[in-house]
Amino acid sequence: VRALAGRRNVVALAGLALLVLPPLANPYILYVANIALIYVILAVGLNLLLGYAGQFAFANAALFGIGAYATGLLQVRLGLPFWISFPAAVVITTLIGLVVALPALRLSGLYLALVTLAFAQFTQWLMLNWERVTFGAGGFKVPPLTFGSLQPALGLYYLSLLLCGLLVAGAWNTVRSGIGRALVAVRDSEVAAEALAIDLARYKAIAFSLSALYAGVAGGLYSAILSFVAPEGFDLFQMVVQFSMVVVGGLGSVWGSVLGAGLLVGLQEALRAFKGGQEIAFGLVLMGCIVFLPDGIISLVKRRARGWEEPLRAPDRRT
Amino acid sequence: VLPYLVVSGLTTGSLYALVAMGLVVVYKATTVVNFAHGELFMIGGFLAYTFHVLLKLGYLVSLVLAVAAALALGLVTERLAYRPLMRAPAISVVLAAVGFSFVLKGAARQIWGGLGDYMPFPPVVATPAITMGGLILVPQQLVVLAGALVCMGLFTAFFTSTRTGKMMQATAENAKAARLVGIRVDRVYAFTWGMGAATAAAAAVLMAPLTFVYPDVGSPLLVKAFGAAVLGGFGSLLGAVLGGFSIGLIENLAGGYINTSFTDISAFLVIMLVLIVRPTGFFGPRAVRRI
Repeated sequence: VRALAGRRNVVALAGLALLVLPPLANPYILYVANIALIYVILAVGLNLLLGYAGQFAFANAALFGIGAYATGLLQVRLGLPFWISFPAAVVITTLIGLVVALPALRLSGLYLALVTLAFAQFTQWLMLNWERVTFGAGGFKVPPLTFGSLQPALGLYYLSLLLCGLLVAGAWNTVRSGIGRALVAVRDSEVAAEALAIDLARYKAIAFSLSALYAGVAGGLYSAILSFVAPEGFDLFQMVVQFSMVVVGGLGSVWGSVLGAGLLVGLQEALRAFKGGQEIAFGLVLMGCIVFLPDGIISLVKRRARGWEEPLRAPDRRT
Repeated sequence: VLPYLVVSGLTTGSLYALVAMGLVVVYKATTVVNFAHGELFMIGGFLAYTFHVLLKLGYLVSLVLAVAAALALGLVTERLAYRPLMRAPAISVVLAAVGFSFVLKGAARQIWGGLGDYMPFPPVVATPAITMGGLILVPQQLVVLAGALVCMGLFTAFFTSTRTGKMMQATAENAKAARLVGIRVDRVYAFTWGMGAATAAAAAVLMAPLTFVYPDVGSPLLVKAFGAAVLGGFGSLLGAVLGGFSIGLIENLAGGYINTSFTDISAFLVIMLVLIVRPTGFFGPRAVRRI
């Protein structure tokens, strides 16, 4: 059993299930599965920045929002079709993220956290107050997507599945490449990384723009699945949800993020009606996991089943 | 209009300065930025509301009680989010603090009211505005400004003249050496977190009569305190105070002359500008590592 529960088998089986089962599922389950796929994209992207490169930023929720707003606004304001506005929004999101983070990336990690926290507030402010463009607090409707003869919800699900698969595979290959090793070197010791001729600012910028790109894709899909975009989904609480997913799954583990996102989407759905309860639950999950299970749930899986080893997992310890 | 904007800018600025001081003190001692600082402020405000409005205690009594309760909460923060993680990566400490801040926020929402529930807080002095040579002075603002200055003075005096304060300075300077001369560094850390929370609560109690109290007040305030600290060059107390006053002035003037909505984003613009032009702020250490 231990050998059968290896990564390749599990991933293949899960992928097959995600491919075959949805047409049989009821609309609510399909919706939750689709949301879960979007959060997998977000968490995997954030983990590249947080878990691999070791850079702390609050921007991911705001960038997720920018991706959603850009996709929606390009359709509503300029009348562009989804298939043009979506990729354009991803590019815009990545560029905005990079422009904001670039001054901070030259300085110590603290400044990235400060700038991105302020940026998150600023983005919320723009969404609320720049009414001529963003429609303000009420949000706006996005034209529904059609997929030929396929049922729209199902078509969107398969689009999300395709992109999620590609992005997870992309992250998995990135972390095993020279880039991934450079990111981990930056995380573990900036001095040592510099001594190895790793350009710190450059690799931090790579990690940040990768996470922005993932957030942009997730945002575009999110706007399509809700057919509606409003400011409140992209506040700091969204950030805490994403942090929890990365930490619960395991910092610096691509497969951990997939697992963490899948698990916590369930928690979020269960508590959907209670804002205060959600905040307490996710706050406690985040704190508890950091203190008691710092390597995440994936570390339990690694201990019990064979074939889940990931490269570059030496946790850094502060001295 | 200008003198009025300046006075109210200095008033809110003095409160930002107080909050930023707490942030910088904890940062200097532990090299950790307390991302739950804004929520400690928010809880301080709600505690004062409970004591003053619900339990009908005097304003000064409420102030003392709220500050004492916040001190205890600061100790709890240290115990839960900092001490277990002293040997963990810096990121873990920050994440734990963020998690804790949302526990506090959610708790405040559950206990004191729902989303968008703004709690009015009665003014401390009910005298109408005085006009002095064309200058309109609102007594309430003057009380707040004076209160904030007194708090800053007490805080500075505590740091420079008491035994505990000196121990905190020594620990911030060099924790290893402090331990060698017999200072209980762990206790100093705990007390530093407590002091940081206490200043945040003092600011909250002073600010409450000017504005409303609501569960989401923490993060915008944290951003302003960050703006103040960055402007002062993170790590300098005097810098944080000057930065706080500057942020207060800038946002009031921007709000008065450009557009009211600019008050909310001035701090962000200041942070970006400082990082691009002069990352060390007013008084930051000379050698910021540039990479």
